[in-house]
Amino acid sequence: MIFAIEMSSQPNAPPGRPLTLSGVLRALLEADLTVQLRNGRALVLTFLLPLVLLYGLSAGKRRAQLGGPIVDVALALTLGIASIAILGYTASVARDREMGVFQRLRVTPAPSWTIMLSRLAVQIVSMLVMSVVVLVAAAVVENVTLDPAAYFLTFLAVIFSSAVFLGVGQALVGLIKSPDTVNAVGRLSYLPLFALGLFAHSTIFGTTFETIARWSPGGAVATLLAGAMQPATWGADTWWALLASVLYAVVFAGIGIRWFRWSTR
Amino acid sequence: MTAAGQSADHALALQVDGLRVSYGPKCAVDGVSLDINEGEIFGLLGPNGAGKTSTLSAIEGLVKPDSGSIRIGDVDARANPAAAKARMGVQLQSTSFQPNLTIREIVRLYAGLYGVPLTRAGIDDLLADVHLGEEASKRFSQLSGGQQKRVSLLIATIHSPPLVLLDEPTAGLDPQARRQLWDRIERLRDIGRSILLTTHSMEEAQAVCHRVAIIDRGKLVTVDTPAGLIAKHKDDPRVRKVAHGQVTLEDVFIGLTGSDLRD
Repeated sequence: MIFAIEMSSQPNAPPGRPLTLSGVLRALLEADLTVQLRNGRALVLTFLLPLVLLYGLSAGKRRAQLGGPIVDVALALTLGIASIAILGYTASVARDREMGVFQRLRVTPAPSWTIMLSRLAVQIVSMLVMSVVVLVAAAVVENVTLDPAAYFLTFLAVIFSSAVFLGVGQALVGLIKSPDTVNAVGRLSYLPLFALGLFAHSTIFGTTFETIARWSPGGAVATLLAGAMQPATWGADTWWALLASVLYAVVFAGIGIRWFRWSTR
Repeated sequence: MTAAGQSADHALALQVDGLRVSYGPKCAVDGVSLDINEGEIFGLLGPNGAGKTSTLSAIEGLVKPDSGSIRIGDVDARANPAAAKARMGVQLQSTSFQPNLTIREIVRLYAGLYGVPLTRAGIDDLLADVHLGEEASKRFSQLSGGQQKRVSLLIATIHSPPLVLLDEPTAGLDPQARRQLWDRIERLRDIGRSILLTTHSMEEAQAVCHRVAIIDRGKLVTVDTPAGLIAKHKDDPRVRKVAHGQVTLEDVFIGLTGSDLRD
């Protein structure tokens, strides 16, 4: 697709090829992927945390009270998605905004939305790769294997879930300008957003707490992922979890888009 | 005061008319009009907070003007910002690039964003041309100030734009790096590029710019060639009061904008 750039009849008009959206996106994606791969912290957040949680849950004595092996895997996936979005994505956006990286990109012909789309796409790719790694580990550690349809549904659910936490991340960088404050608030909000989800399928702390946990962002996502991994058990709870996830994504992304500023100055 | 209408015989690279930019209740640019001819170096001078960067930001499409028109060559920049951006190269006051990319990768990214096909060898040639061949694998933050400015200028001109906007291009550079950068800017002019720049250096503006405009409190105060400005204002009592001997462009600048400190 060629977007609206007609070359001038001036003798010194730009020599480049007509700009295409695909060309712009390719350039941005290539750069953003390179940045992601070189970011050691992002790699730790992507792979290490969910694998540690998966191992911890599988070795834990009270694993049955948290919901069993499928829920363990769903929680590990939820942790991976939340970490990448709330800690990784927000930190990189806040830092690049503070440094003026976005303003430099915005003076090029690339539409502003392509700059953010590329960033988000790289995060979603990271989440999908993390999901593959966690599911492989789940097969080894937990002996959890799914049929092909369940794997497909799980990856779809990962994409839905990414919208929830990327929405939260976007809201954070939309409402807070300072990178240090974004990092601090990200860490603080990470616990209630994710940790509550740990008890979405457990009555350890009573049924009221379980209900709150189940409808927290982490709980809704964990329920959705657990349902996707067992399509045969997909029921009203899973549908409600999907609906809650969509609502969280719309509300948080709406706040993030409405208040986001490309520059801190 | 307007800088427009002085160049009827020349093709115009940039036309700004009645530009007004405000941030909330604060009016940063108040009815600025200016024209830049093809192949001209035009300096925008003003104290801190005078509206220079806001004027440039509006032309670059980074801030939305309240009113006024901006044309880059034959393109209406407000109606067709992407086409306008394709025709201008920009060096921002404080430029930064993705910290985890090498210089070679940064050049590749921006070439892609402007639709300029470049091979790895082509990128290396460009970097060698600005004496950065050996820095191709370094990160932007690992370069010296002068090297960073050269990378910024290279990227601003990677698509051979007819118009180049430079916001304080030599700020913070040592004399050698500054001289090198001016040589490059003059080379751009020699190949027909039009350049709009802001600077706090009156000597440099006087030496390099064909015309300069002085902006203060968001309004254009005066515009002419450096020699024309001196001739026009040398007898102004405000200028005479600050001049020591022969009137310079700096005397005119301080005389017209006042000697109070600004932020």
